[in-house]
Amino acid sequence: MTMTRRNRPNKLMIGVTAAVCLTAAACGSSGAKASSSGGSSSGSSGGSTPSGGTVTIGDSTSLSGAIAQLGQTGLQGVELAVDDLNSKGGVLGKTVKVVSADDNATPATGASQVRNMITSNHVSALFGPVSSAVAAAQEQVSNQFSVPMFFYTSNDISLMRGGDNKYAFQFVPNTLMEPNAVADYFAKQATGPIKIATFAPDYSFGHDTVNGFIAALKRLHVNYQLVAQEFPPLGATNINTYLSTIVDAHPDYVFNAQFGNDLVSFTKQASSFGMFQKTKVIAMYDYDALAALGSAVPAGSIGFDRAPFWAMPEVSSFVQEYKAKYNAYPSEWAIMGYTAVQGWAWAAEKAKSFDASKISATLAGATVPTIRGNITIQACDHQAEIPEYVGTISATPDSQYNMRLYNSPVFTAPFSDINPACGASS
Amino acid sequence: MHAFVVDLVSTLSTAGYLFIVSAGLTLVFGAMRVINLAHGSFYMYGAFLVSTIVGASSGARFWLAIPAAAVAVGALGALVEVTVMRRLYRSEHLTQLLATFALLLIFADVGLRIWGTRARTVGNPTPFGGRITLAGATFPSYDIAIIAVAAVVGLALWVMLTRTVFGWKVRAVVSDPEALATTGTNTNLLLTSVFVLGAALAAVAGGVIAPQTSVAPGIDQAIIVTAFIVAVIGGLGSVAGAVLGSVLIAAAETLGARYAPNWASTLIYAVLIVVLAVRPWGLLGAAER
Amino acid sequence: MRNLRADGGPGGLSRSTVARSVAIPVVLIAALLVLGEKLSVNNMLTLEEVLGLAVFAAATNLLLGYGGLVSFGQAAFYGSGAYLIGLSWLHHWMPFWAAFVLTPVAGGVIALLMGLIALRTRRLYFALLTLAFSELFYQLVNVRYSFTKGATGIFSVSMVPASLSMPRTGYYFTVGITCASLLVLWKITVSPFGLMLRATRENRERVEALGVSVYRHQLLAFVISGAFCSLAGALFVVYGQSTYPDLLNWTTSGEPLFMAVIGGMFSFLGPAFGALLYQVGNQYISQHTHDWQLVLGAVLLVVVLFRPDGLAGVLSVRTWRRMWARRGGRRVTPVDGGPPADPAPATAFEATEGAQQ
Repeated sequence: MTMTRRNRPNKLMIGVTAAVCLTAAACGSSGAKASSSGGSSSGSSGGSTPSGGTVTIGDSTSLSGAIAQLGQTGLQGVELAVDDLNSKGGVLGKTVKVVSADDNATPATGASQVRNMITSNHVSALFGPVSSAVAAAQEQVSNQFSVPMFFYTSNDISLMRGGDNKYAFQFVPNTLMEPNAVADYFAKQATGPIKIATFAPDYSFGHDTVNGFIAALKRLHVNYQLVAQEFPPLGATNINTYLSTIVDAHPDYVFNAQFGNDLVSFTKQASSFGMFQKTKVIAMYDYDALAALGSAVPAGSIGFDRAPFWAMPEVSSFVQEYKAKYNAYPSEWAIMGYTAVQGWAWAAEKAKSFDASKISATLAGATVPTIRGNITIQACDHQAEIPEYVGTISATPDSQYNMRLYNSPVFTAPFSDINPACGASS
Repeated sequence: MHAFVVDLVSTLSTAGYLFIVSAGLTLVFGAMRVINLAHGSFYMYGAFLVSTIVGASSGARFWLAIPAAAVAVGALGALVEVTVMRRLYRSEHLTQLLATFALLLIFADVGLRIWGTRARTVGNPTPFGGRITLAGATFPSYDIAIIAVAAVVGLALWVMLTRTVFGWKVRAVVSDPEALATTGTNTNLLLTSVFVLGAALAAVAGGVIAPQTSVAPGIDQAIIVTAFIVAVIGGLGSVAGAVLGSVLIAAAETLGARYAPNWASTLIYAVLIVVLAVRPWGLLGAAER
Repeated sequence: MRNLRADGGPGGLSRSTVARSVAIPVVLIAALLVLGEKLSVNNMLTLEEVLGLAVFAAATNLLLGYGGLVSFGQAAFYGSGAYLIGLSWLHHWMPFWAAFVLTPVAGGVIALLMGLIALRTRRLYFALLTLAFSELFYQLVNVRYSFTKGATGIFSVSMVPASLSMPRTGYYFTVGITCASLLVLWKITVSPFGLMLRATRENRERVEALGVSVYRHQLLAFVISGAFCSLAGALFVVYGQSTYPDLLNWTTSGEPLFMAVIGGMFSFLGPAFGALLYQVGNQYISQHTHDWQLVLGAVLLVVVLFRPDGLAGVLSVRTWRRMWARRGGRRVTPVDGGPPADPAPATAFEATEGAQQ
């Protein structure tokens, strides 16, 4: 095969010219950025800061796709916190501005977004994503560029223990605290031998949560018998076989480690199967899941929520404000996002600086006033010492909110009871 | 025995909705040689429309909501066909994939704007709210409704393709569009009709599965790969193949869940690999030039 | 840039071709080295990520632009490269450098096994079969979480040697590997094998009639592509110091295809520039709007509907000549005057012309 010789030097020149132009453009823009970031890695606003001007914070989280509800409502909490800070004169006399982006639940995207926020928007603090994998990628960037990072949705314990958490703070109960809290509540209710089945998506979070729950039951000497354990694929739509296996085992309770849309689907299908006639479910029936399910929520089942606004009288004025602005009640993510911003602002005021090291040193072990009351930040792993809330789902709609929530009183599992000691776990 | 009944019903009901969604995909491919990833958007819009029409309490209105959603999504399909798809019929498959993927992205954002981010649920429609006990096995009666709808859709498609002039033209347009045009047929209108039918089928599938699941953003991308796999296993363009493909995939999922739970998530891909290794054009597909 | 490989027959290179084949790499490498001194850390890291993706896109384009094979399984190789390094670190199998050198080998072996089955199918069936293979890997990594760390992935700065986790040395290392990879890939595309591969795309039947095994040529291309995609995955670890299941997902397979289409799959460097354009454009869009899907979708739609030959096509002289010819009311060639919606005629034209001689 001989190929035609077609010399097109002009085309080549255009190609090379384009390459050079791109190069020059990159050089030009980079020069500007390099000078304004001053070669220092802590952004433009470290050290002593005069009043006036603005300070920017960044929030790269999931705003589209299956977990958009978590990201969107969390971001609303962050934005409301910033509005409130600004109406009281900002932080260190500076007006706070929020830049946000959709990480598409992809670690590489989330990481490059926060890097751009740090270098282009000169953000002084970062607020966390939904997915723990994205969180891990962003934590690396926060370390590399020395910018404080606040997680309020992703809660994998390895983010704070094992990872490099020098500038990272956790404002949501971690993955080990949750099953412990549920087991505590369950142990108080459970009498006699109880038959338990577990149901969890077949990946690390599902298995860890189930194992944590079983371990906690053992520790609490609950008289239980494990009758079935099912691990369907993550996002499986066809779960009839798993459900029928569980129904056949006649458990008293099913511990379910699903959340969000998957939990809603499970509940719908389990209800069609008649599972709730004899069996109750223990699962993350948080406000969003309860709202999505409406009357399909199984009464008498046990739910947990990281921050159920209706059971937290201390946040009532925040709830009114949130409702007025967004025409919806705040999810747990909104409350924790709001609290995380308060933690950062308090530390900046206290340290009189936006510098990451100073904020980190100030926050570790400190007690921060927030809408939820005073919250202490555990020094060893930067975990906020907040409780987990567990309740039994009511049979009748709540008169105030016109939907089925938890029976009162809602159990508040104290941090000291459910927190695995630093150094004791993975 | 009773596990067998449960698995059989589960397989058939899963196969039912997979068939409806992939029949639309394969029908469009058969007529215009275009693989349409925005089929997932039509499916999602169908589910959202049904949930909007009936709300959480479903009742008998559900059975009117399904055709209503199908008509609305069909109209959207007509718009898409006239503005975008028509330019793609003679393109490379990659161009078609990318263009329809672009549509999938656009519709995802528009969907977020219209319906927000919170999951919705649809109640079981009358009279399928309860359970049926058969040979000692108990299963949701709505499973039977899904199987019945799929059977009606399948039968209607078969009659339409083999017993009507429209069906004859649809089959003719694949083999020889020029010859068909000389008979005075408006091929543009014909292709638009097929695309509208495909979109409407996606909407029906989305509506039918809505009572079983949560209607939320992201279900568009979740369904499209599975639908594509079903259509390819059966052979692209073959509606009968879509029946086979959907039963095979549903059976693999159900039996995998029962007998090999550790491998359940990988099974449908394994099935696809095996089928294509043995029959490179799918079970009932024709070699594409 | 297409004429580079068109000229590179076994009969030797003309002087102008030699000049150009030296000029382009020299200019580009010089620019990249200069940028290493000039760029801020952020822009340098962005460029470092782009360079890895450029290898990913160029290696994918060996299949797409040259072989006419649309593979949706490229993530299997990319992710395998990243996981080979990640798992080696996690389980103390071997030092980083050993794992790094092994990544192309692993990618090649996986590609060989996949290709043996997948290349028996054609077109969309091939696309979906390769997708199934990569989803198989994706699901296994998720499910075997005690071995792979599952959905959370493996994150640690110490996954790569300290020298490479420094932005500047990491950047220079990536520049070196990228340039070497692109040069090797370019050499392959202008080799007799590369020309034959192109011929299999243009006219499979005719090549087979010559007694040449299309299957073997495609398999070799698949193995080469797999090896370099896996190396690109290793470069991702150098850049990101992490590996996670998303790298194996089919959406990751779609990215190099995007890049190739945006940059122009019928030119050697098109996909590499597509990587730059895609990555920077994506960052820009997602920073300025939450509706990035809407904007990206619209841009993509316009590109594939109106400029399926990508950036390289826009920049090519033929486009301008054609526009000029249209305005002047005459056509350069019958094929050139056809609808721009289909990329096939432009190249088919060259192949027919070549075959006629």
